Amino acid sequence: MNPSATQALRPPLVDTPRTASQITDDICRPVEAMPTASWYVGFFASVTALCIGAVLVTHEIATGIGTWGLNSTVGWAWDITNFVFWVGIGHAGTLISAILFLFRQKWRTAVNRSAEAMTIFAVMCAGIFPLIHMGRPWLAFWMFPYPNTRGPLWINFRSPLVWDVFAISTYLTVSACFWYIGLLPDLATVRDRARNRVRKFIYGIMSFGWDGSGRTWIRYEMLYLLLAGLATPLVVSVHTVVSFDFATALVPGWHSTIFPPYFVAGAIFSGFAMVLTLMIIARRVMRFENYVTLRHLDAMCKITLVTSLIVALAYAHEAFFAWYSGNNYESFLAINRMRGPFAPEYLVMVTCNVLIPQLLWSKRVRTSPLIIFFISIAINIGMWLERFVIIVISLHRDFLPSSWADYSPTYVEVGTLLGSFGLFFTCFFLFCRVLPMIAIAEVKSVAATPGSGEVASATIIDATPGEGEKP
Amino acid sequence: MSDWSQSIDSLNNGQAASRAEGIAEGVSEGDLVRRRDFLTLLASSFAALGLTSCDVRSPRQTIIPWRDQPEHTLSGLPTWYSSTCRACPASCGVLVKNREGRPIKLEGNPDHPISRGGLCARGQASVLDLYDSERLKTPLAKGEATDFAQLDAAVIGALRSIRDRGESIRIVTSGDDGPAARRAIEIFQAAFPDTRVVEHHPLATRAIARAHGATQGTARIPSYRFNKAELVVSFDADFLGTWISPVGFTRDWADARDPELNGGKMARLVSLDPRMSLTGANADFRVALKPSAVGATLLHLLVHVGRKLGKREVESIAGRLPAIPIPDAVDDEILGGLAEELVAARGRSLVIAGSESAADQIIINIINEWLGSYGATIDLARPVWEEADDLDSLDTPDALETLIADIESAGTQAGSGAQAESDDNRAVPGAVIFLGANPVYNHPRGAELRRALEKVPLKIALCDRLDETAALADWICPTPHALESWDIARPRRGTYSIVQPTIAPLFGSRPAVTSLTTWAGKPTEAYKLVRRVWRDEVFERQSQFDRFEKFWVECLQKGAFEIEDATPDASFTRPPLAGLVELAVVESVLAQNENGNRAEGDLEFLAYPSIALGDGSQANNPWLQELPDPISKITWGNVGAISPATARELGLEEGRVVEIRAEADTGLGPVRMPIHIQPGMAEGVLATALGYGRTHAGRIAANYPIERVFGIDKAEPGGADVYPLLGVGSVSVTPTNGFDEPARTQLYDHQTEPFTGEDRNPAREMSFADFIKQGRENGHGDAGGNSEHGGQSETDKHLKHGAHAAEPTLWSEHDYPGHKWTMAIDLNRCTGCAACVVACQAENNIPVVGKAEVRKKRDMHWMRIDRYYSGSPEAPEAEPDVAFEPMLCQQCDHAPCETVCPVLATVHSSEGLNMQVYNRCVGTRYCANNCQYKVRRFNWFDYAHEDLVQNFVLNPDVTVRSRGVMEKCTFCVQRLNAGKRDAASDGRPVADADVRPACAQSCPAAAIVLGDANDPQSAVSRALENPRAYSVLEPLGTRPSVRYLARIRKEDATS
Repeated sequence: MNPSATQALRPPLVDTPRTASQITDDICRPVEAMPTASWYVGFFASVTALCIGAVLVTHEIATGIGTWGLNSTVGWAWDITNFVFWVGIGHAGTLISAILFLFRQKWRTAVNRSAEAMTIFAVMCAGIFPLIHMGRPWLAFWMFPYPNTRGPLWINFRSPLVWDVFAISTYLTVSACFWYIGLLPDLATVRDRARNRVRKFIYGIMSFGWDGSGRTWIRYEMLYLLLAGLATPLVVSVHTVVSFDFATALVPGWHSTIFPPYFVAGAIFSGFAMVLTLMIIARRVMRFENYVTLRHLDAMCKITLVTSLIVALAYAHEAFFAWYSGNNYESFLAINRMRGPFAPEYLVMVTCNVLIPQLLWSKRVRTSPLIIFFISIAINIGMWLERFVIIVISLHRDFLPSSWADYSPTYVEVGTLLGSFGLFFTCFFLFCRVLPMIAIAEVKSVAATPGSGEVASATIIDATPGEGEKP
Repeated sequence: MSDWSQSIDSLNNGQAASRAEGIAEGVSEGDLVRRRDFLTLLASSFAALGLTSCDVRSPRQTIIPWRDQPEHTLSGLPTWYSSTCRACPASCGVLVKNREGRPIKLEGNPDHPISRGGLCARGQASVLDLYDSERLKTPLAKGEATDFAQLDAAVIGALRSIRDRGESIRIVTSGDDGPAARRAIEIFQAAFPDTRVVEHHPLATRAIARAHGATQGTARIPSYRFNKAELVVSFDADFLGTWISPVGFTRDWADARDPELNGGKMARLVSLDPRMSLTGANADFRVALKPSAVGATLLHLLVHVGRKLGKREVESIAGRLPAIPIPDAVDDEILGGLAEELVAARGRSLVIAGSESAADQIIINIINEWLGSYGATIDLARPVWEEADDLDSLDTPDALETLIADIESAGTQAGSGAQAESDDNRAVPGAVIFLGANPVYNHPRGAELRRALEKVPLKIALCDRLDETAALADWICPTPHALESWDIARPRRGTYSIVQPTIAPLFGSRPAVTSLTTWAGKPTEAYKLVRRVWRDEVFERQSQFDRFEKFWVECLQKGAFEIEDATPDASFTRPPLAGLVELAVVESVLAQNENGNRAEGDLEFLAYPSIALGDGSQANNPWLQELPDPISKITWGNVGAISPATARELGLEEGRVVEIRAEADTGLGPVRMPIHIQPGMAEGVLATALGYGRTHAGRIAANYPIERVFGIDKAEPGGADVYPLLGVGSVSVTPTNGFDEPARTQLYDHQTEPFTGEDRNPAREMSFADFIKQGRENGHGDAGGNSEHGGQSETDKHLKHGAHAAEPTLWSEHDYPGHKWTMAIDLNRCTGCAACVVACQAENNIPVVGKAEVRKKRDMHWMRIDRYYSGSPEAPEAEPDVAFEPMLCQQCDHAPCETVCPVLATVHSSEGLNMQVYNRCVGTRYCANNCQYKVRRFNWFDYAHEDLVQNFVLNPDVTVRSRGVMEKCTFCVQRLNAGKRDAASDGRPVADADVRPACAQSCPAAAIVLGDANDPQSAVSRALENPRAYSVLEPLGTRPSVRYLARIRKEDATS
C-alpha cells in the first residue's frame, strides 16, 4: 500500500482526542476487516521464509549436523548465535510490560501488547535452536528432570544448559500468561463486537467468559500486577542464565564475570531495537500513528541509547581487562577480534552497536521514524553479530594453536536463520490479524476523550520516563 | 569359513552388536531392546525400521549350546597369533588379535628381533587391506571369471608350449619375497629351465649394495645399529620415516636419545636433506640441501674428515675440489665442524645417505670406514639385503629396464629377422609372470612396459587385486593377504620371521607358491613348502632344538627365530680406496653437479615414499589415505611441496594446481597436482610423494566420493602418479587456473600467536646444556631424574597417590581408591611417526570421513599429533625447528567437559578417566567447546559402514558410534578393563604390561607409558618424577592426567 495515498485519504490523527468507541473501532478494525494487500504480501513472504527454514531444518535433522559449517573446533556458531539473539529480542517485551508497568510508565500501553507478543514469538524462535542444534534432537526430553526407568540417570544440575532449559521455559510460560491475561478484556471486546456466531464462539472461549463487571476488573488488575511482579526478576534472570552458558566455560572470551549484566543490557538493547523496527512498520501499516506517537518512539530511543552506552562500556571493559589481567589468552583474543579473520564482523558490530546509536542523542533523529527505523535495523544486525563474535571468535582460536580453525556457514544455516525470521513474522502477522494490537482498555485509560477538558495530548501520554502519572 | 559366517551375519546389523555389548554391561535385556527400538523408531523412517530391526533374544524353548566349539574362538575373548607384517620389506613382527575368528588388529610383537614391539602406521593399517572388498574374488582368464582347475590346465599348456618353442620365461618379483617364494621359484625353474627372475624394487636402496660391492667387496645393504651411535649424520636417509626398516631404527634411535637410559648421554642427529622429512624434523641440526648438492657436500666432508684423520690418500681428491664448489647451503665451517664432531665420535658415529647414486654411497662408505663405523654402528655380517651376484660394475642396468629392452628387441627380431642375439641372456621372453609386482604402476618406465607387454604372448599376474599390471595380464591368480597365508620373511641374514595365517582366505585366492609349483607339475601347499624351507634353512642351522616339531611350534609362538652367529663377520676382503673408485666418484659427482645447473624457472625434482602410503601398494586403504602426513598434515592425495622462497619466486600459492613436466620428455604429458608451501624445503626443489594417483587399486585410491550433493557423489582424484617422474632430475612447473585446497588436519603451524608474538609453548623443549644444568642443580649429576623439585614439575605431585598440589581449587577432590590411570609421553622419544594415530583408529572403530570433511576440519582421530614450526606467521622461518606433540584426551581430574554436559553423558570414573557414555549423549557439543585441548570428536553424520566386508575389522569391544554423538579417547578403557580382568583371574595385582592402550602398545619409539599413579612401582610413577615432566595448559587448573616429558635438543656436540 502506498502510505502517501493513505495519508491523503485519511490524514493522520496524531494526538487528536478520540472517543472511547472510536478507539475501540480503530484498534479492532484490523481484526474485523479483510486484510489489506500489504498484510497479504508480508504474510506470504513470511510463510515462504518459514517453509524454507522448515525444509532445511528437516534436512539437517534427517542428515546430521554436518550439513552446517561447524567443525571440531567451532562446535557452535549460527545456531547458538541465533538462540541468544532471539532470546535477547524477547527481552524488551517483558521489560516494557512488567518493569515499566511497575514504574507506572503510562506510555507503555501503546506498545506493550505488541512487545509482549514479540517476546513470545522471539522466545519460540529462540527455543528452536537449542533443540535443533543437538546431534540427536529426538532425545531432547533427556534435558528435563523427569522420573525415568534408567536407574540413577538424571540431568546434570551443574550444566548451564540445564539452567537454560529452566530459565527459558519459565520465561516463556510467565510471558505467555502475562500476555494472555492482558488480552482478556480486549478479547471480550472483540467477542462482543462479533457479528458472526463462529467468531463469537471462538473469541468467547478465548476471553474466558469475561463479563466486564467491577469485580472482574479488580481481580484482573490484581492478577496483572502480581504477574508483573513475577515477570520482573525474569527480565534479569533469563539473559543472566543464558550468559552463564559462556561465563562458566573455560574458553577465553567466554570466561568472564561481566557477562550477566552485559548480556542483560545487550538483550534490552536489541529488544528495544526490534520493538522499534516492528512498531515503526505497524503504526504505518495499521494506521496507529495516533496511538504510537513520536513521543513513544522518542522514549524508546532514549532507552536504546542508554543500553547502547552500557554495551559500549562492556566492550571497552572486555578490551581493558584483556590487557589489565595479564592473561595472554585473553589479550590474544581481544587482538584477534580486531585483527583476526573475523575482524570485519567485529568492526561492523562496534559500528552498529556503539557508533550508529550515538545519533540518538539528537532529538530530531529520535522523532524521525525513518531514521530510527534504519538505526534499529543496524542495531539488530550489530547485536546478532555481537553473539557471533562472542561465540565464533572465541572458539575458533582458543588454547592450542594446532586446533585453530576457520568457520563459514552453509546454506542450511543461512536458511535456518531465514526460517526463524519467517516463523517470527508469520506469528506476528497472524497476531496483527486476530488479536488487538494495542491494549484497548489500557489505552482508553490514558486517552483524552473529547469534551473531558484534558485535550492537551502531552499530558495524556507522558512520554518522559520517570514522570509517571498516578492511576 | 562357515564357523565365522554366523558372526558375519550378526555383525551385518550394527545394532545387534551394540545390543550384545549392552547386555554384557549388565543392562537387563528386555529394557535394552525396548529402548533401542524406541530410539530406532524416532531416528529412522518406518521403512528403515522394517529392514533393520531384528530380535536378538533367544527362542522360548530350551536350547543347548554347541558341544564342540571351535578351539581358539572363545566368544568375547581375543586370541593372539604371532606373524609378520608384509606391508613393506622391513618385516616387523606382529601379534594378530583375533576375535570370533576374525583378525581385527595388528600389534607389535615385543619379542621380535626387528621391531621389538613397535609397528608403523602402514603395518597397523594392513589389517584393513585384508577386508578390502576390491580384492579379487576369483581367478580371471582374459577378464572373465574362471576357476583354478581351468586356469591351471590352460597355463600349464601355454607354459609348456613356450618351453618347447625355446622361448624364455621371466618372473617379475617385488624383491622382498622370502625363502619360501624363492624355493617355489626354484621348483618352477626346475620344470622350466629357461626362467629368469627379474627383481623389481619400487623403492630401491640398491645403490647402497652396489657401493658396498665397490668398497667392501660385497654387494649388500648392511644392518645399522642406531642404538650404538652417538652421532648420526643423515643425507636424506629418512630412517625414522621410510628408509629400510624404520620401526626398528626408531626404537634404536629413541633408546640412543634417552639420557635417562644412557647415564646422561644423548645421541645427536644432523640431517642434510632437500625436503622436511621425518628424520629432518627430528634432527638437532638440519640443513636444507638440494639433491644435486649431496655429492659435492659429501666430497667436501670426505676431504675434511680425511684431513682430520691424517689420511694421505684424500689429497688426490682434494686436488680436484676447486672444480667442485661447495654448495650454497653449507659452508666450510659447517662441514669442518661436522667432520670434527664425527672424528671425535669415532666408532660411535654413523653417516648414512638415501641417495640412489652409487657414487654418493661410496663416499659414505669411505667416511664410515675411516671413522671405524663398520663393526660398530654398521653390521655387514647381517645384511638386510644382498645382491645375488656380487656386482663388478657400478652401473648395472635396472632389471626391469632390461626386461623392457628384451621384449622390444624380441619384437624387432621377429620383425626384421636379422641380428640374431648372440647373448643368450637376450632370449625371447615368451611369458612374463608377475609375482606380486606391479611395475606398470610403480616403475618410472611403466608406460613403456605396458606397450612392450603387448608383444608378450603370455602374461600371468599373481596379485591381490586387478592392479595396473594385472589389468594387462591374460591370466590372473588372486593371491591371499599375509593374514591368510603361510610364508617366511627374512628381514636380514640369519633372522627368519614366520607369516602365519589367522583366517581362512576370505575370497577365492591361492598362495602364489602353490600356483608356481602347480604349474611346475609339483603342486605344493604353502604350509608344506614353508615347513620344508623352515626345516632346511632354519632348523638345520640351529643347535638349540633337536626335534623339528618342537622347534616349529616354538617358532610359531614367538614369530621369529634368529640363528646365532649365522655367518662369522665379514668374510670379504676390503679393497683399498682405489684410484678407480676415486675417479668414478669424482666424475659422477661432477655430473651430478652439472645437473644442478638447471634452466631458469625449472625446479629440481624429488619423489619420495610417503609415510602414509609408502610405494602405493596400500593406496586403497582409507585409514592410510586419511592419515595426516606427519609434517605437512595433509591427507587424501599428494602435493608438490616447494619452499616459501621458491613459491614467491614462481608466484605460486598454496593449493594452486600446477602442471609438472619433466625436462626430458617422458611422453606421458604433464602431472597435475596442487602446490604446498612447505617450510624447510631446499630452495628450487619440488618434492612430492609416490604412491598416489592409482587407477587400478580400487575406489578409494582412484577417487573418493567426498561429498554427496542431491544424491550425486562428487569425486576427486586421489592425488597424482609421479612414478613416471621418478629419477627425473629437474622439471618445469606451469601454473594452471585450477585450485585444489590440500585437506589438512592442522591449519595453524606455530606455537607462537599471530599479532602478539606470544609463545604459548605447549610442546616444550630444552637444550641439552640446560638439561644437564637442571640435573646438576637437582643434585643429580647424571640428570637421571629422581629429583624432588624439577623446573617444571612443581605441581606434578598432585598426580601421585591422590594427594594434590597446593594450587587452590574450588572443586572437591576426587577419590581414587583403586587405580589412577595416568599417562606419560616422552617428547624426547616421540618422532611423530603417526603409528599411534592408526593404532587408535583400528582399536576404537574410528570412522574415516573423506577429503571434503577433512577440509572442513572434521577428522575423527582421537589421537592426533600436533606439529609446530618455530617462528611465527609474521616471521616464518625458512628452515624451522619442528616440534611434535601427540595430543589425546588428557583425562583431567577437574574436567571442564564434565561440568557442562546437561545429560551427564560424560562423567568421571573412580580410576580418573573421563568416560563418554555414547548412548546418553544428545550432542550439544558443549563439552567439545569447553575442552581446552580440542580432543573431542563429534559424529557430524552417520559415517560410512556400508562396506560389510570392511566392517569385519570393527572391534567388538568398542561401540560403533551413531551420528549426533560426541566421542573421544578413553585411554582404551576396554583394554584397561581387560587387563584388570586378566590380572584378577590370575590373582595378581595389575602390572604395567596389563594396561597398554593401543597408542602405547604400538609406539615404535616406546614414547608412551600408561600406568597406575597410585602404584609407586609403575613406570608412569617414575616418569612423573622426571624433572622434564609438565602438563599442557597446566595453569588452567584442570589437572590433566597426561604428563609430557620435554624434548631435549642437542644443539651442539659438546657437553
